[in-house]
Amino acid sequence: MSTDTQNTAVAQPDEHEEGENYLNHETSVWSWLSTKDHKRIGVLYCVTLALVFLAAGVLALVMRAELSGPGETMMANDTYNQVFSMHGIMMVFLFLVPSIPAILGNFVLPMQIGAKDVAFPRLNLASWYVYLAGATLTIMALLWGGVDTGWTFYTPYSKTTGGGVLWMTSAIFVAGFANIFTGLNFIVTIHKMRAPGMTWNRLPLFVWGMYATSIVQVLATPVIGITMVLLILEQVLQIGIFDPSLGGDPVLFQHFFWFYSHPAVYIMILPAFGIMSELIATFSRSRIFGYRAIALSSVAIAMLGFLVWGHHMFVSGQSVVSSIVFSLITYLIGIPSGIKVFNWVATLYKGSIWLQTPMIYALSFLFLFSIGGFTGIMVGVLSVDVHLHDTYYIVSHFHYVMMGGTVVALLGGMHYWWPKITGRMYNETLGKIAAFLIFVGFNLTFFPQLVLGAKGMPRRYATYADRFTELHQLSTAGSGVLGVGLFLVLGYALWSLKYGEKAPANPWGAATLEWTNVAALPDPHNFKRTPLITRGPYDFHLADEVFGGGDGEADGDQGLRVPDAAPAAPLEPSRDA
Amino acid sequence: MSDDGHHILPKATLLKVFGGLIFLTVLTVAVAYVPLGPLAVPVAIGIAATKATLVVLYFMALRYDNPVNALTFTIGIIMVMVFITFTMIDTAFRGDMGNVDRQTMGEIEREQEAAQQQQEQIPSEQLRVAPADYPDDRGADAGAASGDGDS
Amino acid sequence: MATDTDIAPAPTETDHHDHPAHLQHHFVSSEQQFDSAKLGMWLFLITEILLFSAMFVAYAVYRQWHPETFVAASETLNVTMGTINTIVLLTSSLTVALSIHYIQKDEVKKCIYNLGATLVLAGGFMVIKYFEYTSKFEHGAYPGGMFDPHGGHYAQLADVPFASQFFSIYFVMTGIHGLHVIIGMAVIGWVAVRAWMGSFSSEYYTPVELTGLYWHLVDIVWIFLFPMLYLI
Ligand code: HEM
Ligand SMILES: [Cu+2]
Repeated sequence: MSTDTQNTAVAQPDEHEEGENYLNHETSVWSWLSTKDHKRIGVLYCVTLALVFLAAGVLALVMRAELSGPGETMMANDTYNQVFSMHGIMMVFLFLVPSIPAILGNFVLPMQIGAKDVAFPRLNLASWYVYLAGATLTIMALLWGGVDTGWTFYTPYSKTTGGGVLWMTSAIFVAGFANIFTGLNFIVTIHKMRAPGMTWNRLPLFVWGMYATSIVQVLATPVIGITMVLLILEQVLQIGIFDPSLGGDPVLFQHFFWFYSHPAVYIMILPAFGIMSELIATFSRSRIFGYRAIALSSVAIAMLGFLVWGHHMFVSGQSVVSSIVFSLITYLIGIPSGIKVFNWVATLYKGSIWLQTPMIYALSFLFLFSIGGFTGIMVGVLSVDVHLHDTYYIVSHFHYVMMGGTVVALLGGMHYWWPKITGRMYNETLGKIAAFLIFVGFNLTFFPQLVLGAKGMPRRYATYADRFTELHQLSTAGSGVLGVGLFLVLGYALWSLKYGEKAPANPWGAATLEWTNVAALPDPHNFKRTPLITRGPYDFHLADEVFGGGDGEADGDQGLRVPDAAPAAPLEPSRDA
Repeated sequence: MSDDGHHILPKATLLKVFGGLIFLTVLTVAVAYVPLGPLAVPVAIGIAATKATLVVLYFMALRYDNPVNALTFTIGIIMVMVFITFTMIDTAFRGDMGNVDRQTMGEIEREQEAAQQQQEQIPSEQLRVAPADYPDDRGADAGAASGDGDS
Repeated sequence: MATDTDIAPAPTETDHHDHPAHLQHHFVSSEQQFDSAKLGMWLFLITEILLFSAMFVAYAVYRQWHPETFVAASETLNVTMGTINTIVLLTSSLTVALSIHYIQKDEVKKCIYNLGATLVLAGGFMVIKYFEYTSKFEHGAYPGGMFDPHGGHYAQLADVPFASQFFSIYFVMTGIHGLHVIIGMAVIGWVAVRAWMGSFSSEYYTPVELTGLYWHLVDIVWIFLFPMLYLI
């Protein structure tokens, strides 16, 4: 592009302009319920998912309370079965799977690639409504007697128990469409809606993470849909595909279930990887190490993730040949995951690290996800898993990755983008305290569970042998700390909405478009003018050249160097595909 | 990607492809009455795959379309293959874990060893190596030892 | 397109350009909108393929476990009706492809005729399917637990172990496929009406093209179902 393009860069969006923004340009309830603005849909999802997380989180605290003593402490065994089932189902299908894409992906992704909106705004809104339909069906399941199968719905038990299963399986079928819509939308958006100059090598890594996630969502989700339909048909028409008493094969159900649900764990973690890359780069103010390796390892994980589902079935009675094959491929998954962790650590090295709350979450993630990943590799070892399967070791493994990984990254991302979403700063001191409480509480809750599992404590029981008491009580105490930390976040987040300090357009000095080229509170159309991208997403040094400013001398919030905005694109940009 | 998916397929091409599809349909029905043994399934699926390819390439015009769409479709097909193959790695070899009872593998091995030994019981006459092992022949030689072995 | 990179002073929005009516505001050009819609459709199609894939897996697994059952049971299906239905569906694929061909050439009338023909053929497919289903129900060839074959050449199935699995798979696969045909008919009808109201031209015919893609996929699924269930 010619040089004069650069000179005509639009003036930085005025930071204290009290102009029109996506929140105030129309305010009626209907304007929210009918909005096609990706930012507003992100906010709608945020509120809904926060409620689901709250409900499922309370169930978790209830479970831990029940487990505070070896015998029956506060509920019958059957009730406990229902509580852990609903906790798992809501957390996995209704919270974690949609969480980061639907909230932050929706809000941030189009801005990061310089687009006015996602490719299909109406589909995006439909996604939220479909999700609500799924949530409604979940409530019906509760009213119809609940579900006590665990989140995995293994046949033949799920065929024989409770009317709630029918509702719940339909809920998952329906909610799956919400994810498909989001994933499909993002893939097309990333392919077709990038601003001029936004080449694949200049995509922020959050976008790459979302891209890999979306591929998995599109490819895997239909299978859980049809699996749920077959389970419903099994109950209603007795088709006998899964029910051994009719000649069916229950292990086939497990294949179907895990063909989705293993990739689904990558639907949960890949967006978290994306957030991590943003946080680590911005708060160590250095160019991300191994951009291409991080970007492509996400895609590699997405693909490889389809080849390992059988590691959940080592003791199901599947053939030993397949156990061996699945075990071997499971080891491979560690490689791209490791590449990422090393790259983040390498980015930290010699960066000027700024320990704000989002960065504290990012560092927590590094630690917690590593434990989760290592325990994952351990249970991926066939002979080890035969002992650890269905114990608390597994429970601990997946909480380290799902809570310590995804939820911690989501919290980090929410803090990071909070100023952009709400236009307000949260309270930094409280933020740090909460992050600390969450880190400590989390480890206190789940590390003892690793030990418990190794000692043979089986999962999904309301009672346990006396010798497990101390560790269980430690875990329950930890869950209390964790709960306090999370409620603290909720508290100061709500507080900041009204009383928080007004946020500048780029409080972190980040170099991606949503910070450099968008007003403090985004315009309804994101950009005053479509930006023209001339540098990579983490080229702080290139951004600094424009600004001057020495190396590392202006850390911290005093004299934060804010990267220059990208220039505006020519009016009728020639589109490169 | 000649012109971004706006390729107009000539009517003649569409009709030719249609002719091919009808021909293959007739063929697959006809072949179903020929006893092909184990080849019946692969042949039928092969013909179906050919028909599907024709539809995808011409009716759906993937051949003239943006390569991204072709890639999308291919990945979808690969995933279906993965799904079928990896599930069948299990179902085709189900029960290969021979040991499903209370005996440990070690016990089974020892038992098998014992059985084998029994089978290979070496007849006692083959174990005779030293002259002392041949009491019967002793008479021929000027025997020294006592004749206790025989009766 | 834009040859001059010289930049006019920034107007707030690009509204002053004269945009075609179908162009949504967040797209830069019709081209971009069309490409996006098409990629979106292909992605949707692979979700459909994966939706069916689980049933294909079930078929493969049970066929491999009980090959004789599948041979015996598939012999009770009516090959004539299956073949006719295959040809009907292939023809409907041709007509839908022709409708796209004509709209690209601005021959709206011919496009509508072909869409109409597609609709009729799809209806014919469902009618034949209906007769097939009812003839099975008469002989108690229901899916799974209700399987109770009697009369005609179905009676022998009573002694074939796992024959009910074949019929479960048959009904689930063709049932879900039939559902897709019905949805397709609704969409084709809607597109035909819009074409008749003059919404489409060689400038803008995305819905026709996307509907066509969907319809071909429905056809492809049947291309596989036919030999799997009827012939082998
Ligand atoms: C480093 C890569 C990982 C490996 C090698 C790995 C391996 C495994 C294995 C072998 C199991 C089965 C254990 C058993 O049931 O006996 C398992 C369970 C599980 N993993 Fe992972 N995992 C990894 C990462 C993750 C991630 C990133 C997540 C989610 C974000 C996750 C979520 C889960 C869940 C939910 C289960 C338990 C499912 C259940 O039985 O309820 N894993 N993992
Ligand atoms: Cu897994």
